[in-house]
Amino acid sequence: MSGIATKLQKNRARAAGIGTNAQAAKFLNQDYEALKRECLESGRLFQDGMFEANVSALGFKELGPNSSKVRGVEWLRPKQLTSNPTFISGGATRTDICQGALGDCWLLAAIASLTLNQDVFARVVPAGQSFDGDYAGIFHFQFWQFGEWVDVVIDDRLPARKGELLFVHSAEGSEFWSALLEKAYAKLNGCYEALSGGTTTEGFEDFTGGIAEVHELPKAGPNLFKTIQKALSWGSLLGCSIDITSSSDSEAITSQKLVKGHAYSVTGAEEVEYRGDLTKLIRIRNPWGQVEWTGPWSDGSSEWRQISDSDRERLSSKAEDGEFWMSFSDFMRHYSRVEICNLTPDALTDESVNKWALSKFDGNWRNGSTAGGCRNYPNSFWMNPQFLIKLEEQDDDPTDNEAGCSFVVGLIQKNRRKMRKVGEDMNTIGFAIYEVPDEFVGQRNVHLDRNFFVRHASAARSETFINLREVCSRFCLPPGEYLIVPSTFEPNKDGDFCVRVFSEKQAEFQELDDPVESKVAEIEIKEGDIDSRFRNLFKQLAGADSEISAFELQKILNNVIAKRKDIKTDGFSLETCRNMVNLLDKDGTGKLGLLEFKILWTKIELFVDVYSKNDKDQSGTMSSMEMREAVEKAGFSLNNALHQILVARYSEPNLTIDFDNFVACLIRLECMFKAFKVLDKDKNGTVELNMMEWLNVSML
Amino acid sequence: FVPSDPPPPKRPLAYASHNETDEERQFRKVFQQLAGDDMEVSPKELMTILNKIISKHGDLKTDGFSIESCRSMVAVMDSDSTGKLGFEEFNYLWNNIKRWQAIYKKYDADQSGVIGSDELPGAFKAAGFPLNDQLFQLIVRRYSDEMGNMDFDNYIGCLVRLDAMCRAFKTLDKDNNGTIKVDIQEWLQLTMYS
Repeated sequence: MSGIATKLQKNRARAAGIGTNAQAAKFLNQDYEALKRECLESGRLFQDGMFEANVSALGFKELGPNSSKVRGVEWLRPKQLTSNPTFISGGATRTDICQGALGDCWLLAAIASLTLNQDVFARVVPAGQSFDGDYAGIFHFQFWQFGEWVDVVIDDRLPARKGELLFVHSAEGSEFWSALLEKAYAKLNGCYEALSGGTTTEGFEDFTGGIAEVHELPKAGPNLFKTIQKALSWGSLLGCSIDITSSSDSEAITSQKLVKGHAYSVTGAEEVEYRGDLTKLIRIRNPWGQVEWTGPWSDGSSEWRQISDSDRERLSSKAEDGEFWMSFSDFMRHYSRVEICNLTPDALTDESVNKWALSKFDGNWRNGSTAGGCRNYPNSFWMNPQFLIKLEEQDDDPTDNEAGCSFVVGLIQKNRRKMRKVGEDMNTIGFAIYEVPDEFVGQRNVHLDRNFFVRHASAARSETFINLREVCSRFCLPPGEYLIVPSTFEPNKDGDFCVRVFSEKQAEFQELDDPVESKVAEIEIKEGDIDSRFRNLFKQLAGADSEISAFELQKILNNVIAKRKDIKTDGFSLETCRNMVNLLDKDGTGKLGLLEFKILWTKIELFVDVYSKNDKDQSGTMSSMEMREAVEKAGFSLNNALHQILVARYSEPNLTIDFDNFVACLIRLECMFKAFKVLDKDKNGTVELNMMEWLNVSML
Repeated sequence: FVPSDPPPPKRPLAYASHNETDEERQFRKVFQQLAGDDMEVSPKELMTILNKIISKHGDLKTDGFSIESCRSMVAVMDSDSTGKLGFEEFNYLWNNIKRWQAIYKKYDADQSGVIGSDELPGAFKAAGFPLNDQLFQLIVRRYSDEMGNMDFDNYIGCLVRLDAMCRAFKTLDKDNNGTIKVDIQEWLQLTMYS
C-alpha cells in the first residue's frame, strides 16, 4: 500500500544481500527465530495463523472442502502420530520419501535427488531442527523462488487419516523432515493441491536456485551418457520420465514395471564389463519407494552374475526400495526425457568440481512501455529491457568439438498473482541474442533503438516462445559482446521476469539502459525582450492583480488548445496548472507575473512543437512509443523503470497520451529534477530527507 | 518466429483466500463485479465507483472525483507500476475512505458540506495526520478552492496521498532513524508515480 516505495525498498534489500541463501527473505514476514522464541517462552506449540491447519490448506477441487478425499482428515503433530518421532535419522536418505495421496511425484523425485547432495540438502533444510530439546512445534525450510531465496515457517500439524499421514511419509513412518518439507512447499504455493502436477525441473530449481535443462531422449546427441555422468559428478540433480499418450495412461505401469507419466530421479551412471564388452548402466529411483523395473539388470537379474565381483559389490542393489539399474540402451528405449539441474557456484563447496559462473537480473515488461513483444513487432521490440553479456574466454577442453564460449540463458517469468489460475497467468515468453556491433562495443549507458534491430539479425535465440514458467537454452558463441533481449511473444503483456546466465567462464553481464538525466535548458528571457503584443495579451488575461493564478491559467490554456484541431486533449486539469505555476513562480506569490508567464508560454510552444513532430501518425495523441521518443526530444533521458511509470501514470486505457497529460508529465519531470538538484546540496547524487521535508515535496 | 503450442495448465489455482470472513467474501464479490475480468481497478473504474457512491450522499459537497485525482490515487498505491490496483490495495483504500468519510462529516462543524481551512487541522488530526502549519498551508493551496474550502473529492484525494506518502517514508526508513536517502532514479520513481 506504500506504492513504488515497496519496490525500491525491495531493490535495496536485494542489493544488501537479502534473498541469497545465506540471508533468505522471510516469507510472509514470518521470522523463525522470533516465533520460536515466543513459543518457548509462552510454553505453547506453534500454531501458524498464516497457513491454518484446515481444509483450505489442503486444496480447492479434488482436495476441496466438500470432496470425499478430505473426509476424516485430522491435523496431527508428529508426536501424536508416533511415540518417538525424529526429524532426520541416520541422515536424509531417498527412502525417507514415499508418495502419499497427492500427484506430486515430480516434487518427490526432486526431493529424492536433493538427498544425494548434502550441501544442497543443507540449504533447503536448515540444520538444528528436531523433536527434542527446544522443540516448539515450529520448523522452517528455504526455497528458491524466481530469483531469490525465501525462508518458509510452518507448524508441524500434518494432515492424517486414521493415524496415517495423508501425503509424503518416510518408509518407517517415524522420520518427518520430508513431510514437513512438503508442507512448507505447499504453504509457499498456497495449498497442498497446488503441488499436484508439475515438472521435476521446477522442483529442482526451487530447491537449488540452479538452472534446469531438458534433454528429449529421441533427439538426444551421442554424448548424453557422458553428459549425465559429468552432471552427476558436478553435483547436478537429475530426473527422468516416460511420456504418456493420453491422460488415462497417467501412472500406467508397463509389463516391465515402469510407470508412465511419473517422475523418477537418476542417481547413478556407470560402465561395467559384461561378456567382454563395456556396458553402460544407469541407476533410477521410483519416488514411491517401490515398483521397480523387472527387465535386464533389474535387482537380482541374471546379468549381475556375469560381471566382476568388485563391480557387483560396487553397484548391486537388491532391496525393494524403488531404486534399480537398467542398461543405458534400454533406458533410451523406454524413457522420454532427462532433466538436468545445474547448480550455482555457491551451492557447490567441493573445490575439485567445475563450477558455472552465474549472473542474474530482474526486469519487468509493462504494457505500453517495456512490453515490446518479439521480433515480429519491429516497432516495439526495441522497447524491451536489454541485457549485455561479454564473453571473453573460450571454454577449456571443448569435449563436443565446439569452439567458443558456452553459456546457458534461462528466462523465468514470475507469477506473483496467486489469486489467478496459473495456467492463464503465464505469458508466452522467449528471448533473442544479438551480436553488439563495433560502434557500440564498450558502451553501457545506451538502450539500443529501433534502427539497430531493424538493421541487425539476431545471432541466436531461445528455441521457442512458450507459456512455461521458464525458457532455457544452451549456446556456444565466439568471444564478444552480446545483447540478450527477453520478451513476451505479443507486445503489451504485463509481466515480471528474472533472466539468468550460467557460463563456463566468468562473463560480464549487465542491463543496458539509458542514464537518468535532464538536459532541459533554462529559458533566458529579460523583461525588455517581451514585445508589446504579448504585454497587452498578458494584461487582458491577468486582470486587476497583474498576476495569473492556477485557476486563470487553466481557463487560458483550455481556450487556446481548443482551437488546435491537430492536438487531442480533454482539457488541462487544475493540478497540472498548479504544477506549472509552482515550477515558474520564482517570487513565491503562487501566481505568475509577466516574465514568468512569458517563460511558461515559450515552454508550451516548445511542447506543442515536440508533440506535433513526434505524432508521426498524426493521430493527435502520442502512442506510448512516440511518447518515449518525445520525452527524449524534450530533454529528458530516462531508464526503463521510469518509462514504465510515465505510461502507467499518464496514459489512457488505450495507451495513448493526450496533450494535457503530455504537458503535465514534462512539467512534473522538470519540477522533480529541479527539486532534486536543490535538495542535493553537496552534489553527491543522493538526497536525505526527514518526514516533514519529504511530505513538503511529495504532497505537491 | 512462432510460439509453441501451450501445454495444458499444470498447477491450478493457489488460493490466497484462506480464512475469509463473510464480510470479506462479500467484498470480494463486489470487487469482482467492479474490476472486471482482469481483477484490477483502473483509474477510470475507480472514478466510476467513487462517483457512484458519493452520488448517494447528498450531504457531501463535491464536483465529483476527476480522472486526474483518480490517476494519482492509483499511482500512489500501486507498487508494481501496472497503473492498476489489485484486490488487497483496493480493499485497503475502501476501508480508509469509509473511515475518512465519517471524520469529514464530524468535522464539518458548520454543516456547510465542505471542510474549511479552520476545520482542516482537526479533521486531519482525527484521521491520524497531525501536521505542522506549513504543511497545512501547502495542502490548502494544493487541494482547496480559491476560498480555502476543501470539498469531499479533494479531501479524499489529499488523504490518500498523505497516507501513501507517510507509508512510503516508513517503508524506506528501514533503520527508523527518521530520515530517508534516495538517489535521482529513486527520487523520480517516487515523485513521478504519484
